[in-house]
Amino acid sequence: MTARRVAVTGLGVVSPVNPGDAAAGTFFDALLAGRSGLRLYAPPASPRPFAVPAGVCAGFDADAALGKPRAGTMDRYSQLGVTAGLAAWRDAGLAEARDAGRDDWGVAWGTSLGGALTFERGYRDTYVGGRDRLAPLTVVQAMTNACASHLALGFGLGGACSTYSVACSSAAIAIGEAMRRVRSGAAPVMLAGGSDAPLAFGVIRAWQALQVLAPGDEASAPQACRPFQSARAGLVLAEGAAALVLEDWERAERRGARIYAELAGFGESCDRSSLVRPDRDGQARALRAALADARLAPAGLDYVNAHATGTREGDAVEVAALAAVLGEHAPRVAVSSTKSAHGHPLGAAGALEAVATVLALHRAGIPPTLGDPAGLDPDCTGLGHVIGSARTGRPLRAALSNSFAFGGSNAVLAFRAAA
Amino acid sequence: MQDLASVYSFVEERLGLDLKRADAAAELAGLGVDSLSLLELMFEIEEKFGVAIDQDTPPPKNVGELAATIERIAAAKP
Repeated sequence: MTARRVAVTGLGVVSPVNPGDAAAGTFFDALLAGRSGLRLYAPPASPRPFAVPAGVCAGFDADAALGKPRAGTMDRYSQLGVTAGLAAWRDAGLAEARDAGRDDWGVAWGTSLGGALTFERGYRDTYVGGRDRLAPLTVVQAMTNACASHLALGFGLGGACSTYSVACSSAAIAIGEAMRRVRSGAAPVMLAGGSDAPLAFGVIRAWQALQVLAPGDEASAPQACRPFQSARAGLVLAEGAAALVLEDWERAERRGARIYAELAGFGESCDRSSLVRPDRDGQARALRAALADARLAPAGLDYVNAHATGTREGDAVEVAALAAVLGEHAPRVAVSSTKSAHGHPLGAAGALEAVATVLALHRAGIPPTLGDPAGLDPDCTGLGHVIGSARTGRPLRAALSNSFAFGGSNAVLAFRAAA
Repeated sequence: MQDLASVYSFVEERLGLDLKRADAAAELAGLGVDSLSLLELMFEIEEKFGVAIDQDTPPPKNVGELAATIERIAAAKP
């Protein structure tokens, strides 16, 4: 039996570059325009003055997006995720009311830290505040599968409802696993994506201790994340969420849905060498696996949305992995890292970047890595970097979205233009 | 003794409802207030107004019962 094709029919994003709405189009417009969503952020309830560059969804109003009291039952990572999921669902033209016939529709969601803000509030109340009683919803707000469950509940999806927590590859793996479900016929429709809201004082402190966060002040924070550039000094933590509706291609065509792109392949690997040091060969294995799964050759590839977070070692290793896999095609294949604009939302990164990749194909435009083309690191050359300004007006045939996680878990999604 | 109006306005703000205009018989669940929201709300009331809500009293099911709960809280000594 031939495997089913998987159509992307709905998109939703809440990110630091489009915090006022959840529209993927607004998100992509901001990326094309080269707008940075990064700024200096002082987390509330810090025990002393403290601020770092971060990607904050500052204008996001959970009460307005989800309604009271529903929003109040969720941690911020679920508020962001459910808002993105709702936007994707509406974008796909699917009925919001809990409909009959959704017994085998499902959710696959990625998050690295789940309800980190809720945990931190609980710790503060109990350890610092000395309270004997914590807020009664602490457990159900903080649990890592809360967002997926809220989504399944909201749309009456009765099939698999799974959460993948694989650090920075979480959402990419969720989307890949959802693709497999649609491809196999197990689910005609899957809502897939990811969300994270990691901007808690304690979490930021922990990342600082790893010495991977980019420094910055009020003026320099918007340009603090500089992937592939000589002046890069680390990653910028962010919050955000993105969702994709994945649907059996024939079903999507039958109902006249708009098909943005085909999710054609998914490749995974483990570096098997270090928890934190990226590995060229490990990443190359995931890239080759995704291309093979999509029956794509490097010659047919036009764009890669890189994982590149802006760390010294990570970006150079990813360039080496891409060069090894793409061979003679490497200089022609466009590459950019949209983290320079939206920061690194950890487990949600793969979802935001999958949406950017899908819209790059759909709108024939490549969002740039923010920065100065003249500042490209000599260790990162050899690819078709799109830096500083967008490249538009040239149709793209196929594209990859890379996610490479601490722990060595690599995930690559392959998309094809819908035509 | 609490100020009744301030308890009302706190509850209305948290739930996004105008309780005085709502039908007393209207089920809270139908207004989007499920058992989880109520649990959190009761905890927040205790925190904000410094009162202890009797854990053995069944939670309010409709707008009228919620109003009665609010009036009991307002009458309670902190």
